Formats: sequence, structure tokens, C-alpha cells
Amino acid sequence: MLEIRNLNVKYGKIQVIWDFSIDIKSGEAVGLFGPNGAGKTTLINAIIGLVKPESGKIIFENKSLVGLETHKIIRAGIAVVPQERELFPFMTVEENLRLGSAYIPVAKNRVEENLEFVFTIFPILKERRKQKAGTLSGGQQRMLAIGRGLMANPKFLILDEPSLGLQPSLVIELFQKLKEIKKTGMSIFLTEQNVKQGLKIIDRGYVIENGRIVMDDSSINLAKSEYIQKSYLGV
Amino acid sequence: MEKTNKSLKKTLIAFIIFLIVVGIWKPLALVYGIQRGGLYSLIGLPLALILGIVGILNLAHGDFLTLGLYIGYIFFNSWSIDPLISMAPLFFILFGLGMVIYSILIRRVLKAGHLNQLLLTFGISMIIIELIKIIWTTRPRSVYTSYASSSVTLGNMSIGMYEFIYPAMAIAVLVILQLFLKKTRLGQAASAVGQNPKGAEIVGINTNVVYLVVFSIAFGIIGVAASVMLPRTPVFPLSGNPYTLKSFALVAMAGLGNLNGILIGGITLGVAEAIVQSIPGYEGWSDVVFFGILIAVILLNAYRRPES
Ligand SMILES: Nc1ncnc2c1ncn2[C@@H]1O[C@H](COP(=O)(O)OP(=O)(O)O)[C@@H](O)[C@H]1O
Ligand SMILES: [Mg+2]
Repeated sequence: MLEIRNLNVKYGKIQVIWDFSIDIKSGEAVGLFGPNGAGKTTLINAIIGLVKPESGKIIFENKSLVGLETHKIIRAGIAVVPQERELFPFMTVEENLRLGSAYIPVAKNRVEENLEFVFTIFPILKERRKQKAGTLSGGQQRMLAIGRGLMANPKFLILDEPSLGLQPSLVIELFQKLKEIKKTGMSIFLTEQNVKQGLKIIDRGYVIENGRIVMDDSSINLAKSEYIQKSYLGV
Repeated sequence: MEKTNKSLKKTLIAFIIFLIVVGIWKPLALVYGIQRGGLYSLIGLPLALILGIVGILNLAHGDFLTLGLYIGYIFFNSWSIDPLISMAPLFFILFGLGMVIYSILIRRVLKAGHLNQLLLTFGISMIIIELIKIIWTTRPRSVYTSYASSSVTLGNMSIGMYEFIYPAMAIAVLVILQLFLKKTRLGQAASAVGQNPKGAEIVGINTNVVYLVVFSIAFGIIGVAASVMLPRTPVFPLSGNPYTLKSFALVAMAGLGNLNGILIGGITLGVAEAIVQSIPGYEGWSDVVFFGILIAVILLNAYRRPES
């Protein structure tokens, strides 16, 4: 579904992603774990065309994404839930959600059923649907950003550190919701620093440090790995 | 939401009380102020639209208004077309000019930082002024229409009737703009871009198309403003120039993205100016009052919203 080959990304002279290759199959949930500053967000920005790679290939369903504008990549079936959420603060929850479908060819005629789906996963958004997005709590904004992504009927959902800034009880709840979303068969690409929670919903994972893949394995093997336990799970 | 609604209500109530007080104290100043403030609002709206959605402060705003005045003058002088009729072609001519200016110049500086944007639009302003001087010289021109000088006499006051078209057009343009932004697909996209351009791309909005259309619509409105002004405005190379600063003042007062505030702010400043001008011996102080009120409102806003 998504194939990245030998990707290099630089900001000016500073290289952030080094010779990066991954493969994600249809229906798979894949994690990308790594510390702050490892290059996770940069990789996502390269996938969705917000930063131009120095070299390498990004192929989604046999189509190269390199050089395409962001909105074209999104319309091709990739939804992203950015680390900074990027909501429309002066619009209501419902308006934010509707905008998630409005400009996507496969979604724009399914707005009502998509809303229904998002509201069953996140009932709090239904309660707050007339409230301005900017007045929601951090956790609710995160859910709204995920809901807005789902409104696009994506084939491929990218989540950039969804647990960031949430209190621990909310993190557990959020990953429960992500499990439900995964059951719909959508491909998921998830970055996390919270490896413990992330491992619960993914099939396979990569570990990225200083812009390079240092490990990749199934979630079961990753959980068992001594390196992961020491560096990320604090065992 | 609660909070913004409440503060909007408070602003509206204060605004209406202000108008009533002035109406009792100096009715003529109220009428002149509403007329003049309507014009400020009408001219301020397109600047607000471009600044709020495209994120560009267009320092050539008033000079495009001048250009519109000259084009309207040509319609009148060469083909005897009344300014209120040439409003339609003027909208489209300026719309097209907006498309060209956006595509060949503005698009290139969207990510270039504020200083470069200001320098570019300042340069455009200089070029327009000099071009106008070369083509039409500095000789002032004017358009005469019989209706523009009609007036009514109420008691001992004589009030120009034509100028009521300014607030009327400002309200009409505001209503149409709000409908466009709320009800149309493209308008909703524009609102989204104004609030968060990155978020807009992420929901599949082509921000470049939005910028192009919003910029061009704003220019079209400049054309409309020029037509409406033409019967009462002498046309010379700097006719529109002072409106850049006044329009920017309105946006600073209303806050970014607040189109309704442009109307309220424009009329408040227009009335304040008219009061000053009605006091014998203080006519020259109107600009001081205009910018004095502006600074007061900005300080008040900063005080009311310490978190932002
Ligand atoms: N816009 C940018 N310009 C320059 N450097 C950046 C920019 N964004 C991120 N970086 C740098 O790139 C590296 C990777 O950052 P990022 O991709 O945000 O990491 P992560 O998401 O894994 O925390 C960091 O060293 C960061 O400082
Ligand atoms: Mg990050």
C-alpha cells in the first residue's frame, strides 16, 4: 500500500532522515517508535508533501507521491492526524468534522454516515458538537483531529503521537478507540513515544533513532526485545 | 464561544449607545459619520479579506482603488457610462487584475516572510502611482452626475443624499461576503484557510486556488468601491492612497478575520471624525482622533485578551 525507499530528508544542510525504507501492506497497523527529535514527524511531513525529500521514493498504491501537493495526496486516500492537531479553532466541532469529508472525492457524499460513525466512536464529540474547537480540552481536540481524519474515509490513516499531552487515563481510553478503528480494516501508521500503549494496537513496528531505522519486528517480538524493554519500557 | 458571543454583544450595545448619544448631541455629525464610516468600511473589507485569509498586508490597496477610479473615469469620459453602471465591468476588470497580480507576484512571496511581502506591495504601490502620473498626469479629474449632489433639508440641516450609498453598499458587500464564506463550498474552504492553512491542506483543500479566488474577489470589491466613490471623489494619482492606512487601521481595530467588526469600527471612526470636524477650529484634528481611537481600541483589546 505504502512503500518508502531510501528516503533522505534535510532541513537546509541538516539531514534528519537517512536512507529510510519501510513497507506497509493494506489492512496493516504499523508503528514507528522513537524518542523526541528522532525524525518521526519529519517522515510524516515528507509522506504528505509538507517537506520535499532530498532523494528517495514514496509510493502509495503504485503512484509516486513525491512532488505532489498536500491536498492531492490527501485526496488520494491518506488522512493524517497531526501532532499539533491543526484544527479550525473558531469553527464548531461539527463544522471541523464536516470539513474532513467536504473536499475528499470518496467522502463528500457520505458526510452524514461518516458523522454517525465518528460520533459512535467518540460520543463526547456528539455532546460538544456545537462548541468551538478552540475551546475543547487537549484530549477532546485530539479526538476531534482523529474524527476529522476518519471523516475522509481514508484507506490509510497516519497518527502522529496521538498520546502526546494526554493524561494517562485518557491515553488508555484513546488506544481503546484506535483498536476499534483498526477493526474496520483501515491501514494505520502510528508514531509514538509511548511504546507501551502503541504496541497494543500495531501488528509490526519500526524503531527510529536519529533519523535511521535501528530495529523492525512484529509487535510481539518488539515487546520481548531486551533493547525495547530497557530503552522504551523502562523495565 | 460563550465568551466571544458575550463580548460581541457588549461591543454591539456600546456601539448602539454611542450612535444614540451622538445622534442626540450632534445629529448632523452622526449622519456625516455614518456616511463616511460606510465608505471606510466598504474600502476596508477587501483589505481585511486579503489580510485575514491570504495573510498578505497589501500596501498598494489604496492605489488599486485609485486605478479603479481612473478606469471608472474612462468609462464615463470616453463612453458616457454612469459610474453606478460601470460598477459591474469594474468588478470584473479589478477581479481579473487581482488574478494577474496574485499569480505573477503575490504567490511567490506567500512563504517569504512579512518584510518581503511588505516590500513587494510597497513597490507595487510606487509603480502604480508613477504609472498613473505618466499615463494621466497629475491633473485632477472628476465625474459629474446629477444625482450625486442631491440633498434634503431637515429643519436647518442640509444632508447630502448620495453618500448614504456608502453604508448601504458596505452592508450589502458584507452580507454577500458572509453568505459566501458560510454557505458556499469555496467560501467554507476560504474560512478554513483563514483559520489554519496547514489544517486546510490536510483536509484536502487546494489553498492556492483559495488564495487566488479570495484575492481576486477582494480586488473586485475594490472596483465596486471605486465606482461608488467616483461621483463624489476627485480623481488624481493619490486619491486612493490614504485609504490603505485607514483600512489597515480598521482591521487592527476589528481584529483579524472579523469582517463584521470592520463595519462597526468604520462607522465608529467615521462618526468620531465627523464630531471633531463639527467643532469650529478643530477640523484639522480628525486624523489625530482617528488614530487615537484606534490605539485606544488596540490597547483595550490587548488588555481584554491577555492570553493571546
Ligand atoms: N522545520 C524544521 N526546520 C529545521 N529543523 C527541524 C524542523 N522540524 C524539525 N526539525 C529538526 O528535525 C529533527 C527531527 O524532528 P521531528 O521530525 O519533529 O522529530 P520527532 O517527530 O521524532 O520528535 C529534530 O532535530 C528537529 O529539531
Ligand atoms: Mg514529532
